[in-house]
Formats: sequence, C-alpha cells, structure tokens
Amino acid sequence: MNNLYEECAGAVLAGDSARAEELARKAMEEKLPPLEVIEKGFVKGIKEVGRLWEEGSLFLPELVMGAEAMKKAMAVIRPALEGGEDASNVQGRVVIGTIEGDIHDIGKTLVATMLSANGFEIADLGADVPVERFIEEAQRIDADCIAISALLTTTMNGQKRVVDALEERSMRQAVKVVVGGAPCSAEWAEEIGADGYAGDAVGAVRLLKGLIGRGA
Amino acid sequence: MKRMFEELIRHKVVLFDGGMGSMLIAAGLGEGEVPESWNLSRPEAVADVHAAYIDAGAEVIQTNTFGATRLKLAASASGRALDVTAVNAAGAELVHRAREESGRSGIFVAGDIGPTGQFFPPVGILTEKDALDAFREQAKALEAAGVDLFLIETMYDIREAVAALRGVREVSSRPVIVEQTFEKKPRGYFSLVGDTPARGIEVLPAEGADMIGANCTLSSGDMIDLVSEFRNATAVPLLFQPNAGNPEMEHGNPVYRQRPEEFARDVERIVRAGANAVGGCCGTTPAFISAVHDCLVHGR
Repeated sequence: MNNLYEECAGAVLAGDSARAEELARKAMEEKLPPLEVIEKGFVKGIKEVGRLWEEGSLFLPELVMGAEAMKKAMAVIRPALEGGEDASNVQGRVVIGTIEGDIHDIGKTLVATMLSANGFEIADLGADVPVERFIEEAQRIDADCIAISALLTTTMNGQKRVVDALEERSMRQAVKVVVGGAPCSAEWAEEIGADGYAGDAVGAVRLLKGLIGRGA
Repeated sequence: MKRMFEELIRHKVVLFDGGMGSMLIAAGLGEGEVPESWNLSRPEAVADVHAAYIDAGAEVIQTNTFGATRLKLAASASGRALDVTAVNAAGAELVHRAREESGRSGIFVAGDIGPTGQFFPPVGILTEKDALDAFREQAKALEAAGVDLFLIETMYDIREAVAALRGVREVSSRPVIVEQTFEKKPRGYFSLVGDTPARGIEVLPAEGADMIGANCTLSSGDMIDLVSEFRNATAVPLLFQPNAGNPEMEHGNPVYRQRPEEFARDVERIVRAGANAVGGCCGTTPAFISAVHDCLVHGR
C-alpha cells in the first residue's frame, strides 16, 4: 500500500498525467481511503514539485505538468470524497484574476493551477478583469478569498480598488484579499489593506492555506 | 550595414539605450494602453524618449515595438485595435526622425522584437508555425521601414528565440542580436522555462545570431557573473541590458532606489567581464545611460 502512495507521488513529480489518473483509479478500486490517497500520495508529489521549483531545480514546464497530473488524479478521487466524511476536502473557494488594464496572465494562471492542485476551488476570471467582476463572482460562488494579480506599476492600484469596493459593500470581513505580481510586496499588501502577498505560486498555496485552509 | 556594425563593435564598447515603458508612463501612458499604440497616437512623446537617449550618448536606439507581434497585440483591447505593419513602420520612423533631428551620425536603429507572451506546450498552446508567422510579419514591417539591425529581446524560451531569429532571417540579411532573460537561482542562471546560458550560446549563433546576450529580470549587480559565464564559453559579440534594481513602493508609487552612478559602476564591471555592448532595461532612464556613457568615455 505504501508502495502505491509512493507511485502516486512519483507520477505527479514526473508530470505523468496518464499514470496519475491510472493510479488514482487503482486506489479507488482497492477501496483505499480517498483522503489518505490524496494526502499520503499525490500531495506528497506536488509538495516535492513545489520544493524543487523554489530551489530552482525544476522549471515552469515541469511545474505545470506536475499540477496537471495532480488535477487529473483529483478528478478521479473527488467523486469518492463527495458526500463522504471527507467532503470538507475543498480547502476554500478562491476568485482569481489579473486586474483591469493588465493583460499579464502567466503568473496568475500558474497560481490558479497550483491552488487547484492543492485542493482549492478556483474561479479564474482571466486577465483585464474589472473591479466589479471580482466582487460579483465572489458573491456568486460565496468565495473565501479574492486573489488579484498586477504586473504593472500602473495597474496595481486596481488591487486597492477591489479592497475599497469590498469595504463599501461591507463585504470586507467575509472575504480575504491577497495580491501578487512583480511590483507587489508584503508592504504593498499592508498599505492597501489586503490580507497577504505571495511572491510565487508555491508561496501562494502556503499563504492561502494559512488564511482560509480547512485542515489537511 | 552589417560590416559597419561589425566594425563598430570591434573597436569599442557600444552603448544601447534604456527603458521605454516607464518613460511613456511618466509621459501619461494610461492603464490598459499598450506602449506601442503611442507610435500612432502620441508619436511626438515616443520620439522625445528616443531623442533623450541620443542626447545621453546612446548609439543604438530600439524602436518602440517590443510587443508589436500580432500574437501579443491580440491579448489586449488596446493592442487589437492596432495594425501590425503600421505600428512597426511608425516605430521605426520615429527613431529615424529623432536621429535626423539630433544631427548626430553613427546612430543605429534597432528593430525591437519581444516575446509573444504565449507559451509552447506543456505550459501553453503556442505552435512553432504561429510564432514564426508572427515574428516574420513583424520583421518584414521593420525591414521595410529601414531599420539598421534587429534586436530580439527578453526571450525566456529558446524555442521562441529561434522562431524569432528564423522569422527575421527569412526577410532580412541585417545584423540580428538575440537577448535571453535569466533568473539567478541557487544553482545558477536559468530562464523561466529552465533554459541555461550554455544552451543559448550553443544554439543562437548557429541559427544566425550575430550577437547574443541577456536583458531584463536581473539587476545590474546580479548580471555581472552571467556576463562572465557567457564570455568564458564563447567568442561571439555580447550585449547586456540589466534592470535598474527592483522597484520599491512608496505611497503607492514605484520608486527605483538604485542611482544612475551605481548602475554605471556595475555596468563597468559588466564590460570588464566581457560585454561588447551595454544598455539598460526596466527602470533605466536617459540619466542611467548618460552615467554609463560617462564611465565608458572617461573610464578608459
């Protein structure tokens, strides 16, 4: 059994989606506890991918392939979780997008992919997203957090406008706000009244687990 | 022209210009406006930046066409409204105009080509053919508008750099420079997708690049070791254009704390490490290029 978990982790680390899917099926057929398969198997793999990314030993293509393999495996396991005792596996709901006026999509998509691979439910609004859209979508899906990317010093003030708009609607207490993108920093997050900042996709997972994560 | 440029870099360290985007923002470029749109809507503002760099001593001026491929323009409403040929032709024309008005000789017009902003699989869905078509289209417009050389820059994927190089080579025999962009990691210099300097050094000259190097991402201090790595591995002419440190926020506005003099001191070390040409990237202004010019002139 331990061996199967190791194989699960290995498939994610290798970015092998087909293998990850196959192993997830096998684990479900063998009636292994779904949460344990995720935590002791696949999550170990994605954590190792994250560690190697931070260390500079693997790069964007490997990170994306690892996250894709993770998603494929999760898609197989999720039905077994639903309705069961593990239904709380969703870490939290996050609305993510790049602020209006800014078309930089890469970092934001990467953060969305990694969050999704780590059990968060993601609504990715894409790039050039108006302030209102963030708020509407957060209301619609009852989001725990809004994550806003800005890659330009000219557009980062839009992040503040989202925070302000939440205040105006008395929604600020109910929704966390996190920011990211090249010109941002922890100081900037504090200055605009956001709840946090992360410098990369792995950091974003850590940040959101701390802010809105539900165990695991 | 090829001979002229080769002669130039053989005899001296050639000075390129610095950042364009932050200059245009200072001149009022709005949120959601792509910088290239000003080639047509605010040409005098773009020409002013070129003129300021010529005054600062830059000998190679880059056209304001970094994002002027159809793939990159398609990513924004402001960009979609632009015609690829018109925006590139105007970009080249504005450097020509600034050069003529300066009355200076020995100024070269570099047709600037940046990445498409898209990724090849597995990260994205960009194909070699789409990339090649887009770069060829841009290069053709710049060639027709009479640039002196091509500068392919900020390339984070060697495959895209090669596509751009081939696109240029299909329509022009002018000198082509290719700059990649690298991050400094604990294990050395790597691009976003994991390309090493060694890979570019091996592939790009073989594909017809006359000069190679790196720009953006790294501050001037962090780029010095990268220059040594390039020079230890190749005799090909080298160009480096670092950023002016990283911006820090002050009252909601970005502030570049690095002084032009500090930048120039680092660039002197970049030259000593083996660069044949230097310039600036994000956050650098004519003051930075002027400081480098003073070092190059008085320092030797």
